[in-house]
Amino acid sequence: MRGFISSMITVASVATMTTALPAWAATSDKAITVVLAVELDSLDPCDTQPAQNANVVRGNVFESLTHVSPTSGKIEPLLAESWKQTSDKEWEFKLKKGVKFHDGTDFNAAAAAANIMRTQGGPNYAGIACLNSGQIPDPVKAEAVDDLTLKVMTSVVDPILPLRLSYVDIGDLASQSKPAKVLNPVGTGPYRFVSRKQGDAVKLTRFDRYWGGAPQIKDVTYIVRKEATVRASMVETGEAQIALSIQAQDATDDDRTVTFKDNRIFVMRPMTFKEPFKDPRVRQALSYAVDRDTIVPAILGVTGAPYYQMLGPQVNAYIPDYDEKSAMKYDPAKAKELIAAAKADGHPVDTPFDIITRPDILPDGGELVQAIAQNLKEIGLNVNIRSMENTAWREFLRQPFPPEQPPTLQMISHDNTSGDASFSFPKYITCKGINSAICNPEIDKLIAEAEVASGEKRAELYRKAAGILYQQAGFIGIAEQIRLIMLGEGVEYKANPLSGLEIKIADVRLKD
Amino acid sequence: MYTYLGRRLLSGFITLLGVVVVVFFMSRLTGSPIDLFFPEGAEPAQIDAFNKAYGLDKPLAQQFGIFLLNVGQGDFGTSIWQQRPAMEAALSEMPMTLLLAAIAMTISILVALILGSLAAVYRFRAVDRTITILSLMTSSMPHFWFALVGILIFAVQLRVLPTSGSNSWLSWILPIATVSIGPIGVLTQVVRGAMIDVLSSGYVRNARARGFSARRVVYRHALRNAALPIISVAGDIAAGMVNGAVIVSVVFAFPGIGRLIVGAILNRDYPVLEASVVVVGVSIILLNLLIDIICSIVDPRIRLN
Repeated sequence: MRGFISSMITVASVATMTTALPAWAATSDKAITVVLAVELDSLDPCDTQPAQNANVVRGNVFESLTHVSPTSGKIEPLLAESWKQTSDKEWEFKLKKGVKFHDGTDFNAAAAAANIMRTQGGPNYAGIACLNSGQIPDPVKAEAVDDLTLKVMTSVVDPILPLRLSYVDIGDLASQSKPAKVLNPVGTGPYRFVSRKQGDAVKLTRFDRYWGGAPQIKDVTYIVRKEATVRASMVETGEAQIALSIQAQDATDDDRTVTFKDNRIFVMRPMTFKEPFKDPRVRQALSYAVDRDTIVPAILGVTGAPYYQMLGPQVNAYIPDYDEKSAMKYDPAKAKELIAAAKADGHPVDTPFDIITRPDILPDGGELVQAIAQNLKEIGLNVNIRSMENTAWREFLRQPFPPEQPPTLQMISHDNTSGDASFSFPKYITCKGINSAICNPEIDKLIAEAEVASGEKRAELYRKAAGILYQQAGFIGIAEQIRLIMLGEGVEYKANPLSGLEIKIADVRLKD
Repeated sequence: MYTYLGRRLLSGFITLLGVVVVVFFMSRLTGSPIDLFFPEGAEPAQIDAFNKAYGLDKPLAQQFGIFLLNVGQGDFGTSIWQQRPAMEAALSEMPMTLLLAAIAMTISILVALILGSLAAVYRFRAVDRTITILSLMTSSMPHFWFALVGILIFAVQLRVLPTSGSNSWLSWILPIATVSIGPIGVLTQVVRGAMIDVLSSGYVRNARARGFSARRVVYRHALRNAALPIISVAGDIAAGMVNGAVIVSVVFAFPGIGRLIVGAILNRDYPVLEASVVVVGVSIILLNLLIDIICSIVDPRIRLN
């Protein structure tokens, strides 16, 4: 069980991966404005999982003990210098020396332990609900052995604990002792928090005592513009230097528009507990009905490519030869045949169902969903599109599913930047998974076995589970999303698979 | 006059009561803040603590009773999203919306008076046809589209205006234009119609026969008598400018009550949503009262009926 971590997440590089720029160019007094699509809703280090929060604070204000390398996909040290598994359920982390919080206090094992405990919630923190807590599904205990040695005890055998700790961002000890959300964050990252005006802007400034060396850019302002065209226009006019979530029609043809893949897949999740989706043949027909090769390039352009699996190619559950050998590609005749067979066996295949989507599910997602609905109507299914905003959409995503709820085909844009299927499968495809609309004991068994396995054995078990899932059409891949960032004149930034979550300003360089 | 005002105030109060009831129940229909503020699989104890803190643990009827009692004292509770008194949040955003609406309304009325009068005076001639076509175009133009096209032309191509924000006076131009473009078209049509009616009336013919100049006839005799329908429609349009404020908040990130309402809905912030809608409701009721008073001054027969 020991010594496997470095080889565990053997994630293949993708074409979009590039080496990072020299992070520590000469410092300057220059400032940049980053324009976001969604306003951040928390500055707390334990709420950095949602992209809108991570975009601003992760890697800039806060750092974690470990992090996933954007180039190799492997777990690398960050605030931890090294770690070892001392027994099946115990780990020891040696922390980096000389790391300071923005308020000048020392980063130490006590601060790291407090953050790990607080992130999980529990009785001492009943008033706060940390959005990162889902990344540590089984409770762990953390305690300081000395200033620079941290002991972490898991309640179950967890071979990927160092990966899980990459989701625990570290704030200063004083703020962590309060059972309230942090409004004035103090981290160890290259930028310190200056101010936030809700609905307007968040400002950061360079932390000159950063352990990794002060970055080039001095001040950063984050603003929000909900319209993609406005975001792109702001970069065009020089009002902003970086714009996130750009649509294909606003992209430039030159190197100012950079692309990246972040293992984000646009998938359909049929509600297998209700008709017309109880019969796997009807679900398979969904996959055969969708003409991905036509509609995805036509609608998404450079921002999408046809895809058939649930998880991206960097995740260990990815089945390399699935597309060639087993994918249920466009074949409307076959789809109709499956529907007819299910109907002959007494399944009410004409039961109306709702496609549940939301306007911001992906750029041009509305048109894509309409095209999918048209494809499904063409094979005789009774489809109705319901587009709703995020929270209402999430109510349809999560269990429990009320009996009065109509059968649904949920549209999901799912990403997994960790490289490990444990951050997706338990929640999405097990019987008790909060986002699961399928229950297959065989899948559950494989996932339970994978949870305590490591390396290739773990990957193989996940791939087996994925194979059953796809054969049962519990999740149906539609498109791999390709994301766009727009840069202003003289701005250099190499996007990587983590750019959807964290834009490290220290990696951005302004030409003289 | 006081009886008339009293009746209008009473009907305004009843309307406000209706707004308070509707906004309470409508805000609950937007969904639960639990789904937004809590991670998947959050502990029930944490959810209970949250519900208790915001009074969401009580039955809906009891919540409504407490809400009514608190609203009577001007207390809408604490914002779930912004962690400050909800009324304070609403009142801090309202001045920008009122200022934007006032400027846009003033511009709309002035431009409409000029264009509508010109169209009426030169009825069925080239000037009238041009103004009619333009006013129909602007009144049917989607605000959202106009805002984006405005950005692309004036900010991106010509580089004379900022794309968005509210940092300088220049950044007010596109939001004001977006909010006023529709009302200019509608009001121009109303002014034209009212002026055509009045210009063909006996007292205008009489004024002309007495040798008054065309300008004096139009602006002193005709326009005042055409004012009533113009004021009534302008009042309705002013109330509808809150919709325009929502659009400018989304496209231009322009501060104001529109942005706050959108944020409150997206964040399931019942207290701020309730406070904002009530503040907007009060503003519209007061505006309507003001219009009624102006109408009764312009035409004293109104209060008699």
